[in-house]
Amino acid sequence: MALALELDQVSRSYGAVVAVDSVSLDVEGGEFVTLLGPSGSGKTTTLRLIGGFERPNGGAISIAGRRVDHLPPYKRNTATIFQSGALFPHKTVAENIAYGLRMHAMNPSLIRERVGEALGIVQMGGFEERYPSQLSGGQKQRVALARSLALRPSLLLFDEPLSALDLSLRLQLRADIKRLHDELQFTAIYVTHDQSEAMAMSSRVAIMNCGRIEQVAPPQQIYNEPANEFVYSFIGESCCLPVRIDDGAARDQQGRPVDIRLAEPPSSGAWRLYLRPSRIRIGNEAHGCANTARGRVRFTEFLGDFNRYHLVAGGLEFFCDRAGERQYQIGEEVEAGWDTGDMKVFAA
Amino acid sequence: MTEAALAQSVGSGRLAGISVTVWRAAGIVFASFVTLYVLIPIGVTIAMSFNDGSFIRFPITSWSLRWYEGFFASTRWTQALANSLVIALGTTVISTVSGILAAWTFDRYNLPLKNVIYVLIMLPLFTPGVVLGLGIAIAFGGIEIGGWSFFGSRGSVVIAHSLWAMPLVFMLMEATFRTVDRRIIEASYDLGGRPVRTFFEIVLPMVSTGVISSALFAFVISLNEFVMALFLTSRGTQTLPVLMWLSLRSAGTPELAVTAVVLATAVFACMSLVMVWYVRQLRKLGR
Ligand SMILES: Nc1ncnc2c1ncn2[C@@H]1O[C@H](COP(=O)(O)OP(=O)(O)OP(=O)(O)O)[C@@H](O)[C@H]1O
Ligand SMILES: [Mg+2]
Repeated sequence: MALALELDQVSRSYGAVVAVDSVSLDVEGGEFVTLLGPSGSGKTTTLRLIGGFERPNGGAISIAGRRVDHLPPYKRNTATIFQSGALFPHKTVAENIAYGLRMHAMNPSLIRERVGEALGIVQMGGFEERYPSQLSGGQKQRVALARSLALRPSLLLFDEPLSALDLSLRLQLRADIKRLHDELQFTAIYVTHDQSEAMAMSSRVAIMNCGRIEQVAPPQQIYNEPANEFVYSFIGESCCLPVRIDDGAARDQQGRPVDIRLAEPPSSGAWRLYLRPSRIRIGNEAHGCANTARGRVRFTEFLGDFNRYHLVAGGLEFFCDRAGERQYQIGEEVEAGWDTGDMKVFAA
Repeated sequence: MTEAALAQSVGSGRLAGISVTVWRAAGIVFASFVTLYVLIPIGVTIAMSFNDGSFIRFPITSWSLRWYEGFFASTRWTQALANSLVIALGTTVISTVSGILAAWTFDRYNLPLKNVIYVLIMLPLFTPGVVLGLGIAIAFGGIEIGGWSFFGSRGSVVIAHSLWAMPLVFMLMEATFRTVDRRIIEASYDLGGRPVRTFFEIVLPMVSTGVISSALFAFVISLNEFVMALFLTSRGTQTLPVLMWLSLRSAGTPELAVTAVVLATAVFACMSLVMVWYVRQLRKLGR
């Protein structure tokens, strides 16, 4: 079976700005692929290229095995859910949903059936006659989703559909979209800059940076086996220790020795060590760890579920999280430790 | 705070209190004056149209509707009224359609020399009517198709009036189109709406307030226009203002006042329609 979506070396630039830089991506039918990346990394532009709102400068885009790069949006079998919802303000909810079906010359009785069905799917039955101005933000997004789903497109495109909503609503709609995906098995490309959203919803996540895809993999793999330093530092929280290694001994960037002992030190040279703060143990718990560092507590933060201890060791700063009461005071010397598997080393 | 400063601040407070009343009174007087000033010519004309006498002259000794009867009985006047309405309607259709299309093109596509084009389109609006009227008379005056001559026809006046109305429609609609959310248009394309259907089903309804207002403005501009119509009409195609001007020179009867009232009523009716429609539209959108 043909791939649901195939991007082959697709590029798009605006003057000197390269918004999308030879991006390649294959998506199977039924997959939920998230484009995740910092602001300006080209996620929206990639999505707009797929939807047909922008033309690529180079490369090929195929949807269900058919080249589409030179087709306008109304000839592509995709449906976009915009951040703002983009409902037609002068049409009722039912008319909004019927619009796409009418454009495809579907017969009226079938349209009515599909509209009812789509509203049922997003749990908005009974709102048929409302105008968009009479709906809340979350309801608008549900209608926008229903409007796209009613067309049964081969590809659903989401551009940060939840980012304008408040947290609880966002979590709820996120769960709804996930449930709908499980039930209906549509193929989706979902743009977000919210990591937890990407992790929670996706079958695969594509990490974007500066117009390029850095890594495409299932969420667990992105988290546990980041392909490169950017992915590691972008996903989850991490501490970065820039060190110089001379014959197995660690020094900070000014060349002063620091009290860090590594079980398997990298070869001599400049390195960046990355650690997840949740995996660092301190105090008594650090005894027996393969890797240790002695530092002084600079300050602490209470973050609800845990305390965060900010430590300095020579010219290095890092932090670790520990649940329970605050145990170490500012200025106190403590030992921190971690397992070799919890550390990533990248050449500086 | 020192005592002196305290006393001063209390004093200035009282001063401010007095001046607020004074200012308010002055404001009311001024507003009444402006209102009166604006209403006098209209009020006097309306009063004069009910004058039973044979001249436009005060004092009015008795009142009657006889000049109204005279107006509607005279084919010359009703013909002029019909001419005015037909020309205004033609102007509305031509300038609204072309102005909207031009504004849409202007808004959607990256034209080269955009500012120059904008100024060129707006130019006629600031050109004196005499100049435009003369220009059209010279440029198109000689056109004759099978015995029908362009000069002196209603069509020529429609063309001339559209030169004023079209830039106005263009200006209004260009500003209106800029307020349309681009994503909504994209959503329509995305759902399979081709550009023409998107324009009629999505864009136009969203800017309907602007369309109606600019159409009525075009209508009113044409109804009011005098100079170009004077240049371009002949006996059978004279508009109401032209005929008024001509009969003012021969005989100043209260019939003229009646004409003025009829014309003004037509214009005010249009403006009220705009208002009513506007308010209803705002309410519908729930803003
Ligand atoms: N129409 C445009 N004209 C010029 N530059 C553009 C245009 N659209 C996007 N860009 C540029 O392309 C780059 C990528 O933009 P894009 O909107 O795809 O980023 P994004 O990843 O969606 O960011 P965000 O998370 O902020 O939405 C940015 O540097 C942006 O300034
Ligand atoms: Mg974006």
